[in-house]
Amino acid sequence: MVFAILIGSPVTHAIDVITNITADTASITTAQLRRIYSMRQVKWANGVPIAVFVLPSNNILHQKFCKETLRLFPYQLDRIWNKLTFSGMGIAPTPVSNMEELIKAVKSTTGAIGYIENINEVSDVNVLKIDE
Amino acid sequence: MSMSLKLMNKYCYAFICLSALFTFSVLAADDKSANPLKVHGFIAQGIIDVDGSNFVNDDGELSTELTEIGLNTSYQLSDDFRFAAQAVYLNGGNRYNEGLRVDYFLIDWNAYSSEQWQANLFVGRFKSPHWLYSSTRDIPFERPSIILPQGLYFDGFRDIAVGGDGAAFKLTYNNDELGEFDFNFSRGKSPIKSEDAEVILSKISQGDIEHKLDSQVSVYWRPVFSQWRFGLTLLDSEFNYTSVSSEYYVDGEFQFQNYTINAIYEGEQWEFTSEFLQTRFLTEGFYTALFHQDNLGQGGYFQARYKIDQKLTVIGRYEEFYADKDDKKGHKLEERSNGIVPSYFGFQNDAMLGFSYKFSNNLQINAEHHWMKGAARLNPIVLPNPQVNKEHWKVWAIQLMYWF
Repeated sequence: MVFAILIGSPVTHAIDVITNITADTASITTAQLRRIYSMRQVKWANGVPIAVFVLPSNNILHQKFCKETLRLFPYQLDRIWNKLTFSGMGIAPTPVSNMEELIKAVKSTTGAIGYIENINEVSDVNVLKIDE
Repeated sequence: MSMSLKLMNKYCYAFICLSALFTFSVLAADDKSANPLKVHGFIAQGIIDVDGSNFVNDDGELSTELTEIGLNTSYQLSDDFRFAAQAVYLNGGNRYNEGLRVDYFLIDWNAYSSEQWQANLFVGRFKSPHWLYSSTRDIPFERPSIILPQGLYFDGFRDIAVGGDGAAFKLTYNNDELGEFDFNFSRGKSPIKSEDAEVILSKISQGDIEHKLDSQVSVYWRPVFSQWRFGLTLLDSEFNYTSVSSEYYVDGEFQFQNYTINAIYEGEQWEFTSEFLQTRFLTEGFYTALFHQDNLGQGGYFQARYKIDQKLTVIGRYEEFYADKDDKKGHKLEERSNGIVPSYFGFQNDAMLGFSYKFSNNLQINAEHHWMKGAARLNPIVLPNPQVNKEHWKVWAIQLMYWF
């Protein structure tokens, strides 16, 4: 299936948070995003489990998202995820190689969340408004 | 003959582990979906040299007994139930018993979940979530140094302290005004093999040591959007020793009650960590039928890490540990033993410097040097060995690690 990303003029956008349409939410707070990415909230308000997708730790967008949006340093998230993974107490987000893969994964996975940058319009996902 | 067989078995085992790790790492690399099955692992090999103690080996030679291999899986059975298990192979010389262990094997029930609250019950064999590094003490890339502060993370107690068979409960609460709260409670017992008993009690002991149920509680708090996190932990653990008629020791009971507080600051470049421990160690019997000892030990460390860039981090740490807070110099210990046990077995201080270099997201090398003073945390602790363990001793180690 060809997924359509409509790329418009090269206007620099802030980072956008996108979710699968099953997440059924239009906005999110920074605190809630931080909870989701630190795996402290694992279900959406409608009960759908959250599937978290991330870019690699050394990806510039990932680092920007951590610092500017979540107000966390990438190593802090790595530490939380490794601790969960290697202690058996939880699971870490699913890593994907690049933004195209991330968009594809969010579209096709129930309850998924991810982040994008510099894309004017992306179809078949929710683009969330981030409240402070 | 038996020695060469043992060596052959060791290499066969290492080969099987490496093959499995390679296969699973390829499978894991291909997995880009939210697959309910997750597979992760790690392998680390290092060299370690100790001068002035039997911390790693008895001959004082450069050692390769610094091997850690692990493979774990997690399978999401349903929205609320998950299975997770991890096996590890550890070789640390005298630090703990060499071999394969089932690290955890549990069912995780997500009993309640909302935007603010999350409650999970873990049933089976679990890893202790309580201390800062208790669940990651042998995950090479997720602990701050190759050798952890021995006052708190004494390697001789690794198999007893790392977790237990029973149940653990975790409750997290998120408040937009007050911050993040974690509450953990666990109750379980550790299966202790005779080899584990030998590490702590010496090869002279022939009886059985049994871990009775232990209870642990921990509470953590991170203020809203703060770089700081604070914790408090409590532990109560009891052991029974049943002697055999032909040996030197008699039946006995040991009890540990540990209280720790900790704080961690995670800045962009600087990171500061500190943990303080007070431990009550009660011994009834064991040495003689009427032996009674009730010690209150204390210890703690301060650790600083500085990230020079995304790859290179330097670390410095200073730790002090006293087996009896009322006998910090160990003079009473020496007197009680009629001079057989030197005073420096009453304490152990560790000044450490090191660095880690990250070649990529999952390949790293750690190197460090420790200047030790005292021998209170050298195995076997019930039978101090002043012939090989000096007051001042040194350790350096380098370890290469890969994980996926």
